[in-house]
Amino acid sequence: MKIFWSFARQAFQYISVYRFNFFMEFILTLVRMYGIYWVWRILYTQRPGAFGVSMEQMVTYGVMGMVLELFIWSRPQWYMANQVKSGAIDTDLMKPLDFHVHMLARSTGESLIGIGVLAIPALIIAYLFLDVQFPPDMWTALMFVVSIVLGFLVFFHLNFLLGSLAVVALDIRHISWAYFSLVRFLGGQIVPLWLFPPVVAAIAEVLPFKGTYYIPISIYIGRLAGVEAIRALEFQLVWLIVLVLVSRMLWDWAHRRLVVQGG
Amino acid sequence: MDALRLYLRLVGVSMQARLQYRADFIMGMLNVIALNAVNLGIIGILVYRFVDLNGWIVWELFFLYCLWLLGHCLYSLFFWHFWEMEEYLIQGTFDQFLLRPASPFIQFLGREVQYIGFADMLVAITGLILAYVNLDLHWSAAQWLFFPIIVISGTVIETALTLMTACIAFWTGRSDMAINMIMEFNMLVQHYPIDIFGVWFRVIVTGIIPVAFMNYYPSLMLLGKLDSNSPSAWLGYISPIVALILSVIASGVWHLALRRYSSSGG
Repeated sequence: MKIFWSFARQAFQYISVYRFNFFMEFILTLVRMYGIYWVWRILYTQRPGAFGVSMEQMVTYGVMGMVLELFIWSRPQWYMANQVKSGAIDTDLMKPLDFHVHMLARSTGESLIGIGVLAIPALIIAYLFLDVQFPPDMWTALMFVVSIVLGFLVFFHLNFLLGSLAVVALDIRHISWAYFSLVRFLGGQIVPLWLFPPVVAAIAEVLPFKGTYYIPISIYIGRLAGVEAIRALEFQLVWLIVLVLVSRMLWDWAHRRLVVQGG
Repeated sequence: MDALRLYLRLVGVSMQARLQYRADFIMGMLNVIALNAVNLGIIGILVYRFVDLNGWIVWELFFLYCLWLLGHCLYSLFFWHFWEMEEYLIQGTFDQFLLRPASPFIQFLGREVQYIGFADMLVAITGLILAYVNLDLHWSAAQWLFFPIIVISGTVIETALTLMTACIAFWTGRSDMAINMIMEFNMLVQHYPIDIFGVWFRVIVTGIIPVAFMNYYPSLMLLGKLDSNSPSAWLGYISPIVALILSVIASGVWHLALRRYSSSGG
């Protein structure tokens, strides 16, 4: 736990140096929240209660999608790609700390700061000005928190896998564009899975991406409740275990192939 | 004329440098196409489920998206590296442009060319053609004549806005997040017709960061959505004027920034 806090402290120092950037990041999120708020308002004014959810639920879904981005704000793949490119990765590998755990600690630290500095203020604004609802009851709120933690871990491992690729491919800049838009889409950040055309929905249902946005937010708004919610949490957990195993294997493989440039 | 020759020569060299990395080129193109496909897919699903978005049917929304993209692709081909200006300033490498006997602006412009713009262009043109056919549009000669002017205006608007924003780095050292901010407004305007948003948003993208002139207002005219009795109908026609005004301001800001420049001593 001490390692996590020390990385959180580091992230906080980083933020205080680039204060303006973080302020802008915050404003960006507000703009995104505002945008999606109106999209759903208009669509649900046209067809109230469409697809079994109310306008309030759908607006909450949309805005939470933007807020959640700040919860899972950490991007270990950039760090890994930079370290590989500059050759500084050898100092990371010499540390008496497993690299995978090191990255997880760093990401967790960064995310804790992201939640405190960006996500919580954004949430307050969402509650005050964008008609975002609270979860229906305490039990739902609790499941939501569990689901977010699982979602963060799933997302971290997807990112870590991409970062491991950087060791082999060196440049992941272009892949990451497609990767991010794919996570957003299949993760249901903007459009929930129940609106997808059947074929696309069937694919998105089995992939791990829906564990990042769709499951936590659907639980939050009460769309996934009771047994369904528990099933969804299990889904996240199973994928998490798979991703951890794959990450360990891929990293070991990449590590062996690692060529340090300069260093 | 000399400036143009110099620019073309510099761009030619940059292009050759870029094409050294063939695999990177192909990956970049494929990924940009994938990214656009996902964006269009999201819009497509929304409209497929709800029939229309405030009266805009799916092909009209695609038209809106692609018209923005066509203006944007010329910007991203030739001017994308405004975004990296801060790096030159921080590392002090900007000095090199001031030491050579040629316009610093032209030298900076010729420094890079982003082939990913080609992928955007491909998507935009395909999308516009499909939209034109599917919407069964029949433009008059005047509309056809106006179309390329709108596209160029879009490029100029985005370029001028980004240049101005990039110049913030001359004062603060950092500009990337401010450019991201402009981009965020661009994204919303590209994806959704601004008539779905609240008043203050429309005021911002019309009067302060006038990106709505890249696609929304001209689209009203090109898609026959313009109500000629409406007191704001003229907004559909003034994109070139907006572009002109912005480029004058941007040029002023750039010269101000150059005068203000003090090397970080790289």
